[in-house]
Amino acid sequence: MWLPLIGLIVGLVVGFLLDWRVPQEYSSYLSIALLAGLDTIFGGIRSFLERTFNVRIFMSGFFFNTLFAAGLAFIGGFLGIDLYLAAIVAFGVRLFNNLAVIRRIVLSKWINQQE
Amino acid sequence: MLQKSRKITFILAIISAIIGVMLTVQLRSSLHPIHKESRSIAELRTTLQKELEKHKNLLADISKYNQLYYQYETSLSEDESISVMKEELARTRRMAGMVGMEGEGIVIDVVDAHPAEEPVVDEHMPVPVVGDYTIDDEDLRWLVNILFANGAQAVSINGHRLISTTAIRNVGDVIQIDTRTIRAPYEIKALGEPEVLLSALKLEGVEENFQLANKKVLAEKRDKLMISANNETRVIQFMKPVKEKGDS
Repeated sequence: MWLPLIGLIVGLVVGFLLDWRVPQEYSSYLSIALLAGLDTIFGGIRSFLERTFNVRIFMSGFFFNTLFAAGLAFIGGFLGIDLYLAAIVAFGVRLFNNLAVIRRIVLSKWINQQE
Repeated sequence: MLQKSRKITFILAIISAIIGVMLTVQLRSSLHPIHKESRSIAELRTTLQKELEKHKNLLADISKYNQLYYQYETSLSEDESISVMKEELARTRRMAGMVGMEGEGIVIDVVDAHPAEEPVVDEHMPVPVVGDYTIDDEDLRWLVNILFANGAQAVSINGHRLISTTAIRNVGDVIQIDTRTIRAPYEIKALGEPEVLLSALKLEGVEENFQLANKKVLAEKRDKLMISANNETRVIQFMKPVKEKGDS
């Protein structure tokens, strides 16, 4: 259970050690990708709590969403349409949805335990 | 089952590691954005120019001090330094047009294409006007500039040697070179590589241009051409040498 958390910490440390920096103009794509990744993570936690977790769906969701969000934003930049706004809204809404569901599930579990 | 769940956690760990890397990269780029060059090309160019100037000055300083050092080292005898100074003075005088020069060059005669059939009635007419056009100061300036642009070392118009401050201008109906009036026909002498000068004249269309003014341009090559010195007295006013120093 603790392995993902350790993985996160390792990722953070590696990120700091690598000292990568993204140029200003590409920073929005990275933030979109990051948002998509976070969305997938929370979706995964939710599905895990709902006991419908599937590794394949999770994995494919993570990579596909991340790359597709960034790609869409990139293409939007070419077309002159702010597609990244659409991605931000979509992922943001889903993120909050997932968080609400997770909260409810955890809360109900906790109340069940109390009783 | 246990193996499967371990696999899942492993995958989760890898994905969270990727998220972590992305997070730090994003954080770093937003906290310390990469400094990009925002100055325009023109600004950069002027900056570069300034730096090059500085560089040149510094190099000049170095060579000057090196020379001084060398002089001290070898302790030049007095005669030698005087002869060096004399040589330098002679060179400068040649460059400034203060001595007569001779060498290869071309002579350009600007003459009337068709001599006026009837003699000029008005004796007081300063320049014989043929057709509606006459030669302007501009035409002469243009011609002289072509010559200088193509490597002419010394140029004279009707015996007036041109120097760096020479002005050619129209005053009334006549052309003056440094306050000396010149009249047609104009004879322009230029020292330089004759072939280059002649082909430059052809290329720039000098002949055609002067034809508009009903003048013929006769340019010919001379193996030995003499151009006299500029004998104007020149007073240096309004300027004094600047002690140039590179900021070191």
